Amino acid sequence: MIQFQQVTKRYPGGFEAVKNLSFEIQSGELLFLAGHSGAGKSTLLKLIAGIEKPTAGAVLVNGQNVARLSRTSLPYVRRHFGLIFQDHKILFDRNVYENVKLPLDITGFNGMEAKRRVLAALDKVGLSGKEKLNPISLSGGEQQRLCIARAVVHRPAILLADEPTANLDRDNAHDILELFKSFHQVGVTLVISAHDETLMADYGRRILRLKNGQFTA
Amino acid sequence: MKHWLRLHGLAIARTIKALLRHPFSNGMNLLVIGIAGAFPLALYMVISSVAGVAQKLPVEPQISVFLKTDAPAEAGQSLYKQLQGHTELQQVRFVPRDQALKDMQSAVGVDDLLAGLDNNPLPDAIVLKAKLSTPALQLERLQKELAANPIVDSAQLDSAWAQRLQHLLSLGQTLLQAVVVLLAVALVLLTGNAIRMQILTRHDEIEVAKLIGATDAFIRRPFFYFALSQGLLGGLIACGIVAGGIYWLNPAVADLAHAYGQQFTLQLPGPLEAGVVCGVTLLLCSSGAWLAVRKHLRKFH
Repeated sequence: MIQFQQVTKRYPGGFEAVKNLSFEIQSGELLFLAGHSGAGKSTLLKLIAGIEKPTAGAVLVNGQNVARLSRTSLPYVRRHFGLIFQDHKILFDRNVYENVKLPLDITGFNGMEAKRRVLAALDKVGLSGKEKLNPISLSGGEQQRLCIARAVVHRPAILLADEPTANLDRDNAHDILELFKSFHQVGVTLVISAHDETLMADYGRRILRLKNGQFTA
Repeated sequence: MKHWLRLHGLAIARTIKALLRHPFSNGMNLLVIGIAGAFPLALYMVISSVAGVAQKLPVEPQISVFLKTDAPAEAGQSLYKQLQGHTELQQVRFVPRDQALKDMQSAVGVDDLLAGLDNNPLPDAIVLKAKLSTPALQLERLQKELAANPIVDSAQLDSAWAQRLQHLLSLGQTLLQAVVVLLAVALVLLTGNAIRMQILTRHDEIEVAKLIGATDAFIRRPFFYFALSQGLLGGLIACGIVAGGIYWLNPAVADLAHAYGQQFTLQLPGPLEAGVVCGVTLLLCSSGAWLAVRKHLRKFH
């Protein structure tokens, strides 16, 4: 489903975040990316979503070279993804409900069915009854859940989560991972990055370990 | 098609929300657009009102040539003959000094005054009526030629004031064009800047939207609707300002005109003028938006 072919990403200034990586992610797989911060995890996720373009090599999503996509067709490819950002990117000028509805607005999905989906997503992540709140009043764990609700509301085939458990205590982190597991069970492909490997160990899935932009083990 | 309409409907709804979220600053912006539009419209209304009156004025191009009192009669006659052959003149009339005195007596009724004079103080005169098609410049040249003739005391171009009015009007029109160009540029920059500010304040929203798969069109749409609404409302405000101003000024204008024995008021902007003003402000505001959006949305990936 996702294929990296000798991918290198060099940022302006010469820093190589990802060096000559080749690997494949199967449809329906739950994959962990491990490594310290700066190891290239975020860059790798950004390369999958077409947020960054590889300096060399190719990133294929469903057989399509993401870097070769035109400016007009890239948005439609992005809609296959649910993105959970390290810095959340929650909009604080609107309430929880409107934040989650954003991906549906973008596709022009509106009306009762849209409302039903937003409420279902909020229910799934355990934020029922908080739709009218401003996200600023949510706790760190709740904000993370809000991001997840926004990422899944349009039912993407692939979920990319960048450090979703970074700032959470162990219990909260486990809850979040359980949530991801439930998405995995209904066939969603997941790529989750984290620097804390002890959490991943409990799930016994494939782990790709990154160091200085290269795989280690 | 239905989907497309829904996307636009959503964009319009978001535009109205955005307008209402900052009623004060958006209101100020509208007022600035309105004033910028009112200025050339007001100028246009004044010019077209005056031009309407000027057209109705009897502008018979006529030159009155007064000969020197000591000029020999034969010289006057020969000038008269010479002018009769002029192709641009439709009528050439010689008014002998005696005739002029008689006319004056009967017209003014100042027998006593004139009877007190020893001799006739009036000169011989030649009155020239030009063809209406004669260009003003040519008439002026003829008038200068005649004035330079040694037997001519003075030559007056009687339609000179009407021509001055025409010149004044064409100056006004040139001024109007300059004002329109300047304010058009100002409006484009103004809207461009307003849109730029909006893009900056909505930076996070645009970034997130782009990241989760919004098309460029989706991002642009609300800004365009914003600019269109600003253009339309600004144009209407301009018409309102001008209509109000003219309504307020007209009694004074009518009084002034009355003092000169004329009936004259400034015309109110009609549907055509209002349509043109709104159309132009719409166009300018959307080009401003286009420039700003083009420049500032590029940086989002």
